[in-house]
Amino acid sequence: MAVHETTKDSQAPAARTPNRGLRWLRRHLVTLAGLATLGYLILPNLVVMVFSFNKPNGRFNYQWQHFSTDAWRDPCGVADLCGSLGLSLQLALWATVGATVLGTMIAFALARYRFRARSGVNTLIFLPMAMPEVVMAASLATLFLNMGIQFGFWTILIAHIMFCLSFVVTAVKARVMSMDPRLEQAAQDLYASPVQTFLRVTLPIAAPGIAAGALLSFALSFDDFIITNFNAGSTVTFPMFVWGSAQRGTPVQINVIGTAMFLVAVLCVLAGQLAGNRRKRSKRS
Amino acid sequence: MTKTATPQSSGGDVRLHGISKTYGSFTAVHPLDLTVPAGSFFALLGASGCGKTTTLRMIAGLEDPTTGTVELSGQDVTALPPYKRQVNTVFQNYALFPHLDIYENVAFGLRRRGIKSVKKQVEEMLDLVQLGPMARRKPQQLSGGQQQRVAVARALINHPQVLLLDEPLGALDLKLRRQMQLELKRIQTEVGITFVHVTHDQEEAMTMADTVAVMNGGRVEQLGAPADLYENPATTFVANFLGTSNLIEAEVVEAGGEELLLKAGDAKLRLPAARCSASARTGEKVLAGVRPEKVALKHGDDAGSITEGHNRLPGRIKDASFIGVSTQYVVEVPGLGGELAVYEQNIERDGRLVPGAGIVLHWSPAHTFGLDAAQDIQAGADLDEEAA
Amino acid sequence: MTPAITTSAPAPPDGPAGAETPVLRKTPVRKRLVPYWLLLPGILWLLVFFAAPLVYQASTSIQTGSLEEGFKVTWHFATYWDALGEYWPQFVRSMAYAGVATVLCLVLGYPLAYLIAFKAGRWRNVVMILVIAPFFTSFLIRTLAWKTILADGGPVVGVLNSLHVLDVTSWLGVTEGHRVLATPLAVVCGLTYNFLPFMVLPLYTSLERIDPRLHEAAGDLYARPSTTFRRVTFPLSMPGVVAGTLLTFIPAAGDYINAELLGSTDQKMIGNVIQSQFLRVLDYPTAAALSFILMAAILAMVTLYIRKSGTEDLV
Repeated sequence: MAVHETTKDSQAPAARTPNRGLRWLRRHLVTLAGLATLGYLILPNLVVMVFSFNKPNGRFNYQWQHFSTDAWRDPCGVADLCGSLGLSLQLALWATVGATVLGTMIAFALARYRFRARSGVNTLIFLPMAMPEVVMAASLATLFLNMGIQFGFWTILIAHIMFCLSFVVTAVKARVMSMDPRLEQAAQDLYASPVQTFLRVTLPIAAPGIAAGALLSFALSFDDFIITNFNAGSTVTFPMFVWGSAQRGTPVQINVIGTAMFLVAVLCVLAGQLAGNRRKRSKRS
Repeated sequence: MTKTATPQSSGGDVRLHGISKTYGSFTAVHPLDLTVPAGSFFALLGASGCGKTTTLRMIAGLEDPTTGTVELSGQDVTALPPYKRQVNTVFQNYALFPHLDIYENVAFGLRRRGIKSVKKQVEEMLDLVQLGPMARRKPQQLSGGQQQRVAVARALINHPQVLLLDEPLGALDLKLRRQMQLELKRIQTEVGITFVHVTHDQEEAMTMADTVAVMNGGRVEQLGAPADLYENPATTFVANFLGTSNLIEAEVVEAGGEELLLKAGDAKLRLPAARCSASARTGEKVLAGVRPEKVALKHGDDAGSITEGHNRLPGRIKDASFIGVSTQYVVEVPGLGGELAVYEQNIERDGRLVPGAGIVLHWSPAHTFGLDAAQDIQAGADLDEEAA
Repeated sequence: MTPAITTSAPAPPDGPAGAETPVLRKTPVRKRLVPYWLLLPGILWLLVFFAAPLVYQASTSIQTGSLEEGFKVTWHFATYWDALGEYWPQFVRSMAYAGVATVLCLVLGYPLAYLIAFKAGRWRNVVMILVIAPFFTSFLIRTLAWKTILADGGPVVGVLNSLHVLDVTSWLGVTEGHRVLATPLAVVCGLTYNFLPFMVLPLYTSLERIDPRLHEAAGDLYARPSTTFRRVTFPLSMPGVVAGTLLTFIPAAGDYINAELLGSTDQKMIGNVIQSQFLRVLDYPTAAALSFILMAAILAMVTLYIRKSGTEDLV
């Protein structure tokens, strides 16, 4: 890290100054502070990982007792844990599909057309992102209560699509706006019909934005607790299971699943990076 | 802070001693000694990646040299950070602060040195670059040429000993570039500050600078006044990069006198010994060079009227392009295995000089120069077009 | 950009007359409606499930009644005064905790964002992954991990005790005795941790956009590194600072998870009150009134803040 800094250091007439360590510290203060923050961000993940090998004495997995791989060998060994995980994955999947489709449509309308009530639409998109979750959660639950709608899978899904929508719109709109409109004109000039233009030019270029929005939706929905807590009734998603276990007793399997999610995600990102690097390298040669 | 504003705005000289820069295994600048005299307009000319910008940045203090020292007006400043050096830079693409207006951009350096009343100086400087009414605009509201002038004003207001210009006109269109070249030259003459100018445009370097250093592959190939470089290139790179040269492979058949006698193919060429930068003993190879505009062209039937003592080469016109002030010919010379370029002024046009015509090329031996044959004959030839 | 964009394409002739009459052709109505059709489902979703509930909640907040007999709108604004009178400590606490956490996020996050943007070099992607990776473990699990880290007998508390840091913090009133858990410090620490990435990412985005030549230009114009930071880097990163502080403050002010998991009853925030009023006490008017006050307070603060920081003026 900081390649230039180190070469600079070896160049500086350091031998003359007695407090060399102090100067080094001053020069690298920002880097050290940044790394400390990074440590603060990573520490809990490491703790979760280490404690997935714990064998706690009581119901709570807060203190280190013995090393054990029991939990890893039986990740679904706790009642309702894997059921809630499956439900959360299912919810996240459908919320992603719903929010991505609806959000992409809005984004295209905003980026490619002029129409009345444009600023109104923009405000309506912005507000859910600027609103504390607890306010949205309580008001939506009030609506469902007043309408006499049974809380459950569908109410959670409705809520998740609602708060994911804005994020998809923002991601896709940014991408479409930065796209040169002449590309579409060029496609039409080269005999592409409007539909072909959309499918062959517009959509492929917007794809990274759509993918980013979809990924964000999935993560937001999968990890949501506050809004789900208000609108789930007796349905238990994975975050709600964790919340409940904080009161009743935290099984080690929670750490196993948390660690597994972390590792899978990091591996996916690394694999993507490697593939990208290889593609770049093969392009260059 | 060690530096204080010097009241007079005369420039200082720059001395580089054995300065070099390496990044890992890549050497951007080979150990280099260079002196820029006070008050001169000095250009570092070269294609991209030749080390000219790195050299400039080492003078500015933005890059630490791997070896060597930088002296400004006799003071060693190698270890000084940029903010303690009395040099200022006009950056490529100007690097104007987007969050500050023009006035504050120009006042930036004065304010950093703790000068309280900047109003008069800033206004004078904005008038000098004819941007007085624009003072409260933001940089992005200005055109490229205006931004360029702000960048110059922002640097000059500090009365630096040396002003460094990193491709200052690169982002401008051709017409504006010509205009700004004259403008910068005028400002330099007016303020008398030493200018060190980095550019890839050989015309720009030759129009503006009193001294040009041609750089290639991290070394200075040749240094001198523009006309001197043009007339007496010392390497094939300089010969090809500055304008166009016809380089002919030849063998020395007679040496020792004031003129060397060369043999190229079947032809005999003469070359003043003083204009040959390579060692030239009998039997050795040299490259004989001549600029296209120095060569004249006669139809084969009139070969008898060629001035006695001129170098002559028989050939055939391969291509002719009329470009107004002159006509440019490509001539094939059998036995040399290459083509020569000839620029003829359009004074009296000979209707017989069309492609296919047999002709004789001739020029005064005094216009011939000699180069070491152990070089790439094509060096620098393509770079010029690429850069322009 | 307009729906008219499609007219530049060769449109099929409208009919036999279309080819002969050189009248100014208007965009077909069907095509002018395209943006509205694109907007319809998503906007409807937001209107029904986001905007309408807010209106519903507004009406709920001025209702009176009981669970058995049902609630009726009686324009009973006293609910607001009662709610404020009873829960103002939680309000103040929420704003204070969220404010402190936001400042801490900025102080901790700025060096990290700066590191990624300017100093990480070829390690940039690795550091970036390490910032985002924690997201992939459910944040509740990670928050529970802080219970382990800050546990009474744990190494962190041990070190803080032996350095007498906890004596100082207890004297300041942010911890109690020789422990960290169930104190304001623990809650703020959790809030800071949870929303730190929301500060780092926008900061990084705005820092990364700064042309490094601007730093060089400042140095060239006699600004020492600290001045360069104050006069150039920081002002140019203002959009990131504003976005980051908003993305941190708003969710932190409404959060109840950190207070619940890491605090005690003395650290309850307004989110905890709304949650328990709504889900346990079932006093819907009070929950609605509290939500509204929270929303209004945050919107007012955000508007004021954006005006003050003058981001519209920036690039």
